[in-house]
Amino acid sequence: MLRVSAYTTKTEIDIQGVSGNPEAAATGIEFGSELMTFAEAVASRNEDDLAIARARLLEAAGESVLVDAAGVAGNFQRMVRIADSMGIPIDDMQANLGKQVRQELGLNSFPGARNSLK
Amino acid sequence: MAYFEYSDSPYPIRDDIKAAHRAFWVRLASPGCWWTGAERIAIAGEIREATGCGLCQERKAALSPYTFGREHEATHVLSAEAVDAVHRVVTDQGRITQAYVDSNAELGLSNEAYVELAGIVVAAFSIDEFHRALGLTLEPLPDAAAGEPSHYRPQQAAHQVGYVPMIPADGATGDEADLWQGGRTANVLRALSLVPDALRDWQRLASAQYLSMKAMASFDQLPERSLSRMQMELVAARVSSINECFY
Repeated sequence: MLRVSAYTTKTEIDIQGVSGNPEAAATGIEFGSELMTFAEAVASRNEDDLAIARARLLEAAGESVLVDAAGVAGNFQRMVRIADSMGIPIDDMQANLGKQVRQELGLNSFPGARNSLK
Repeated sequence: MAYFEYSDSPYPIRDDIKAAHRAFWVRLASPGCWWTGAERIAIAGEIREATGCGLCQERKAALSPYTFGREHEATHVLSAEAVDAVHRVVTDQGRITQAYVDSNAELGLSNEAYVELAGIVVAAFSIDEFHRALGLTLEPLPDAAAGEPSHYRPQQAAHQVGYVPMIPADGATGDEADLWQGGRTANVLRALSLVPDALRDWQRLASAQYLSMKAMASFDQLPERSLSRMQMELVAARVSSINECFY
C-alpha cells in the first residue's frame, strides 16, 4: 500500500525505509525517519527504545501526529495476527507490483509466506 | 465506571478513537456467539498475561512449538487450549498451523470458538498496543454482562482457504450484507467472517485507528487526520515487517 500511495500521489519514495533504513524512510515522506523508528519500536516491544522514539516523534511532528501514528501501529499489530492465526493466503500472488515489493523486501522468507506459496 | 476517558494522557485523543474503544469494551463484556461475557473478558485478560509470559518466550525460542515440553494451564474460566490459543496468537502467531487448529477442535476448542477468541485477541490487543505506544496505563477490563452465547453461525461459511471456514467473497448477503459490498473483499477481511461480529468489531476499530473500508480506497488525506496516507502506510509497513507479516 505504501508503493501504491506513492504511485497515486506521484511521490518518489525509497521502499527500503520499510526495512529500517532511516534515510530511506525520510525520502519523500515528511517525518518519515521518526515515524519509521516509532513504528519499529512499537512492534519490537523494547520499552526503552519506544520511549526515545516517542519523544523524537513528538518533538519533530507534534501531539496529533504521535497519536495518529500510535493508532496505526496498534492497528497493524492486529493485522499480522489475523492473517497468520487464520492461515490466509495473499489474494493475488501474481500481481506484478506485489511480486516486486516481496522481492525487494525479502518477504518470501517470512513464516507466514507458506500459506501463500504452497 | 466510564472507560477510555484518557485523563492520564498528556496528548489529546481523538473523539472517534475514544468512541471506538468504548464501543468495543461494551461488546467485550457482552455474550458473544461462542463465549460468555466473563469468558470474553478472561480472553482479553490473558492477552496481558501473554505479553510477559516466560513460557511463551521459551517456546518462541524453541525450534518448534510442537516439540516444546511445557504447556499453559487452564484457568478457572478458560480451558488450557483456550489459554494457549490466546498466547499463541499474541506471541507466536507465525507458527500456527492447520494441524494446531484441528487439534484444538478435537480437544473442544471449535473453529467457531477459535475465530471468536482470535477476534477478541486482535481487537483488545490493538487497543492495548495503542496505549503502550503512547506510554499510557492499560484500561481496566470491564465487568461481564449476563447472558449466554447466541451460537450464531453464518450458513454460507465454507472451508475454502485458510485454517477455518469463511464466508465466500460472494456470500456477504442477508444478515451479513454489511460485511463487504458487491463481492469486493480480501482474504484478510474474510478471515474472521465465521463469526461476523468479530469482523465488525475490527472494522469499527480499524476505522478509528487506521481507516474505514471506504477511506482505504482513497489516497487523499482525511481532514480529521494528522497523517497522510503515505505516512500511515510507512508506519503500517514497518510494524508489519518487524512482525514478519507476509500478507
